[in-house]
Amino acid sequence: MRLIQQTKKQLNIWAILSLLFVSIILIPNFLIGIQLFTEPNENWQHIKDYLLRNYIYNTLVIVTFTGMATTIIGVSLAWFITMYKFPLRNFLKWGLILPLAIPPYIGAYAYHGLLNYTGVIQTTLRNMYDISVNQSYFNIMTLQGATFIFTIFLFPYVYTITKSFLQNQSSSIVENAKLLGDNSFKTFFRVIIPISRAAIVGSVTLVVLEVLNDYGVVSYFGIQTFSTAIFRTWYGMKDLDSALKLAGTLMFLVIFILVIEKLIRGRKRYSYSTSKVRPIEPKQLIGMKKWFVFSYCFGIFTIAFIVPFLQLIKWALLTYEKIISEQFLTLIYNSVLVASVAASLIVLISLIIANYTRLHQGRFTKAFSKVTTLGYSIPGAAIAIAVISIFMILDGYIASLSAVFHFDPVFVLRTSLVMLVSAYIIRFLAIGYNSIESGFEKVGNSFTEASRTLGYSTVKTFFKVDIPMLKGAIFSGFILVFVDILKELPLTMFLQPFNFSTLATQAFKYANDERVHEAALASIIIILISGICIFLFHKVLDKESS
Amino acid sequence: MFVQIENLQYQYKKASEPTIKDFSLEMEQGEIVCILGESGSGKSTILRLLAGLETPNKGTISINGKTIIDHHQFTEPEKRGVGMVFQDYALFPHMTVAKNVQYGLRKMTRRQKQNRLDEMLSLINLTDYKDRYPFELSGGQQQRVALARALAPAPSLLIFDEPFSNLDANLQVKIRDELRGILKQTGITSIFVTHDQEDAKALADRIVFIENGVVSRVGPPEEILGCASLLMWANS
Repeated sequence: MRLIQQTKKQLNIWAILSLLFVSIILIPNFLIGIQLFTEPNENWQHIKDYLLRNYIYNTLVIVTFTGMATTIIGVSLAWFITMYKFPLRNFLKWGLILPLAIPPYIGAYAYHGLLNYTGVIQTTLRNMYDISVNQSYFNIMTLQGATFIFTIFLFPYVYTITKSFLQNQSSSIVENAKLLGDNSFKTFFRVIIPISRAAIVGSVTLVVLEVLNDYGVVSYFGIQTFSTAIFRTWYGMKDLDSALKLAGTLMFLVIFILVIEKLIRGRKRYSYSTSKVRPIEPKQLIGMKKWFVFSYCFGIFTIAFIVPFLQLIKWALLTYEKIISEQFLTLIYNSVLVASVAASLIVLISLIIANYTRLHQGRFTKAFSKVTTLGYSIPGAAIAIAVISIFMILDGYIASLSAVFHFDPVFVLRTSLVMLVSAYIIRFLAIGYNSIESGFEKVGNSFTEASRTLGYSTVKTFFKVDIPMLKGAIFSGFILVFVDILKELPLTMFLQPFNFSTLATQAFKYANDERVHEAALASIIIILISGICIFLFHKVLDKESS
Repeated sequence: MFVQIENLQYQYKKASEPTIKDFSLEMEQGEIVCILGESGSGKSTILRLLAGLETPNKGTISINGKTIIDHHQFTEPEKRGVGMVFQDYALFPHMTVAKNVQYGLRKMTRRQKQNRLDEMLSLINLTDYKDRYPFELSGGQQQRVALARALAPAPSLLIFDEPFSNLDANLQVKIRDELRGILKQTGITSIFVTHDQEDAKALADRIVFIENGVVSRVGPPEEILGCASLLMWANS
């Protein structure tokens, strides 16, 4: 009896739509998984014998060193900002998030332009001091250079997550450690690092996933990694099967990293039994210490934001007259268009799946919510190649249908924006979903239940009660996704239709064509929009938590 | 019988044993029944089953001659005509008092809705507060609005989940008496869930004492409460 009732209760519009969306996310993953076990062709043999080892080596070197460097920088900054008062602390607290607004590929060509033979540093040295430097010291297009770029533009992930974790810790922990005889240095290693382990590991994992996702930096620097290899195999050799196999191998790497994350994150969850926690009050630093901490924090802000941003502004001033044209406005329009369409769809899909999993809690729905967050761990190049092959299959169907019914197959999905937007949804659904899900958690179920006992169905309740109450979560979910899509490069590079460019792809194209000055204006627009959104988002978040 | 609950059984998914083992209850129209029990005894679950927010493993419920759950059918909460006052009131924060109270009124003309609203607001003595938002009201006022909202669509059964748990002690006494007055005035059949014997004594026509998911005693307050206090004392 319960089974019939349960089925009747479960089988509704929410379940059907959720199932549909979840399958859209799962299908490309299955495709990649299946392709791994198909008969390899000649190209794959070649890749496997001669190139794969190099891809894995490069990828692992960059991932490992970026992971370590972002941990050191991110955690130390979070510790200084939380624990101490020093000049410009309040400004730096926000400022240190800003490097996140600069996509690493933009940072990469800004720094390359700065450091190369014609860059401002070398020309100044040559012209003013008559010093010629050894070029190899200034060559950033190396594995070390890529690690540097990723580190300075991705450390804010570690910094923000660790900082907000530390801010919620009780000051009594630190005070106790001190009373028990530890100095600040010892407290940091014996208490702070262990309790923040889960936060640190989680945030470094985000950094690593971003590095694996990257296409722009490694491609610009000419470093062979999975992303560049997938791109070349598809565009250069037109070999979809091998590209899918590369994507599958890359996914193995991702799974490997996620397993490691689980292992070192540890089982322990530290939380407080009392709701009143006295937050850590920052301590005024004096003398040398004050200036040391200030220089460290401000130095990183300078390297990670001020320097590249000023460089871009200088280039933009040189070229803006030439750049601003109708074509450039179209770029802005395109970027905003695809980002807002995809972000709206993502918010809508997130609302539907989150509402379903919330109303019907069980093992099945739990799996649903896990699947929606899957896409974010899969690098863009892998998603792109999977989506391409699915749309080729779909186009095949359309073509055969047109043959049967004798119509002209004008509607080719593969060359339309549908493909790009679908890929965005698969990759960024997790971001929208997390925001909406935590919104639902905060609101709780009783309002919905009240509405139902007052005679409204789940659908009507959704519009009359749930949506108005989730306004904040919907807004922040939309903003986060919007910014990410605006900055996004690999998916857009792979999947943009012919004659369609965005700010990001055009900037990258200029930089790649040695027209780096012309890339500046588009880059600045991306940075400004992202910067404003990131700032607003964290401001709101900070307000809410206090 | 106006309300008939028979052999209700319910087990939460991860629980090792049923929260509600075998619950039966019959109610006359206009009767006020109090389900009394300690926390964790499963009393709130009974209300959620009545409202349709959970599905029982076994058992039947019928209200006013209409079966709302048995082997074959499950009536969705919105079609049951069971009003519920939530423990935390669950007033919609984005709507004014008037909008909250009118929320459940459908298939009525605007004029009818307005009349019903006025009627409800004067019943709870909050006519002047109709344009306020829930956060601008005191705890006691919020509670009365929640009552008015649940009463407005004239449900056949009204259920209350720990209605006084969020109120100050002195306010609790005042509202309790007021509430009984309102319920008797409207003649609505209602069920309360509480862990407070004083609440039960002041409100109920009949008390159902529940322990570990089974009914241990049923009867009028004066008869039950002596035993219940004894039982609680013995268990503690």
